[in-house]
Amino acid sequence: MNRSYFFFFIIALGLLQSTFLNYAKVFEVTPDLLLIAVILASLYFGWRWSMFFSICAGLSKDISGLHFLGINTLLFIAWNIIIVQLARKITLDSFEARVLLVLVVAFLNSIITRLILICNGFFIPLGISLRIILLGTVYTTAVCPLIFKLFKPSLIKE
Amino acid sequence: MFKFSGKNLTYIAFFCLLAVFLLSISIFKNQVLDISSMPLSLLNLTRREIAGIIFYHRNFVQKERLKAEIELLKLKLTDAQEIKLENVRLNNLLTLKQKSAFKVIVARVIGRSPDNWSSVVIIDKGVYNGVKPKMMAMSYSGLIGKVIESSNHVSKIILINDPNFTISAISQRSRQEGLVCGTLSGVLIMRYLNSDSDIRVQDTIITSGLTGNCPKGLPIGSVIALEDEFSGLSRYAIIKPAVDLSNIEEVLIIIP
Repeated sequence: MNRSYFFFFIIALGLLQSTFLNYAKVFEVTPDLLLIAVILASLYFGWRWSMFFSICAGLSKDISGLHFLGINTLLFIAWNIIIVQLARKITLDSFEARVLLVLVVAFLNSIITRLILICNGFFIPLGISLRIILLGTVYTTAVCPLIFKLFKPSLIKE
Repeated sequence: MFKFSGKNLTYIAFFCLLAVFLLSISIFKNQVLDISSMPLSLLNLTRREIAGIIFYHRNFVQKERLKAEIELLKLKLTDAQEIKLENVRLNNLLTLKQKSAFKVIVARVIGRSPDNWSSVVIIDKGVYNGVKPKMMAMSYSGLIGKVIESSNHVSKIILINDPNFTISAISQRSRQEGLVCGTLSGVLIMRYLNSDSDIRVQDTIITSGLTGNCPKGLPIGSVIALEDEFSGLSRYAIIKPAVDLSNIEEVLIIIP
């Protein structure tokens, strides 16, 4: 039940990102809600279910995107593995640690995406890339407390 | 330190299987996109209704203003029709070949690209409605973009403000040619202009008809600034698009 709740939560975020978020653009940049969902899944669910949720989030982002299928799915799976491993080594229970984690992951995710796109022939000028990387990271980090509140970890019983 | 332990080999095997899985599901991408068209349409409808309620007062004021504007435009339209008829007569006299109007398919925008690295809209018409890749998309005000993918009932359009979309364009006044490309923001850039090129601020930029299926003469936007390239050998023009790309609701797909 709780897992199905989170599954629909991801689908809802995916649809939200393709429709309503157009109104919330700041300097033509939108926050990456699905990445926040992947981080949440990695922190609150076991690795199997968090992996499943990461694949769902990646696919829902890839299907309506321009670039080839799989880029976001693979990245989200990689982030899931890294965060699950990291949570075993260090404590990520405090709110500040989680916000910091979102900041770092969003920043690195943007840089890796940009590099993958360049390697595949989708050239994006440096100035535009910097705008998307920096503003996208800050915006995603600014929005994550809201998603943390929407998502109630007390409902999850692993 | 990486070791070839059993656990690590399991991870590697898992990733290989995943890569094969992703490659195989790319075949079904269009079918999944078709399935997602219904929730996207519903959500888009909800978004429009909510926006209508929230912006009721603004819409009311706009409606009153637009009513007055319509009356004025009706008068202008009558004048324009007279001029058009006159033009037809003169063209016939000069035995000029009449240009046929575009055949278009009207489609509604139901979604947008979820990432920040591309500028794409999803429309509710696909192959069944005659929409095919490489067809150009426009609105009543000007060029919007190009169809890049089509499934049975849904298609994707790359907008002109995407950096991977380039189109040959000319200035309507001086016929100066350049290449217009996107910046993922509210403006476009017209590149490869000579330092002595005859182009000015407020010049209207139109399509040259040299790119693919794009007809000649579609408005792209107007020049708002001119800058020198870093090398100093050429200039570029910053163009404000004729269409508000962040607020597209309907598009017209041009049938070539």
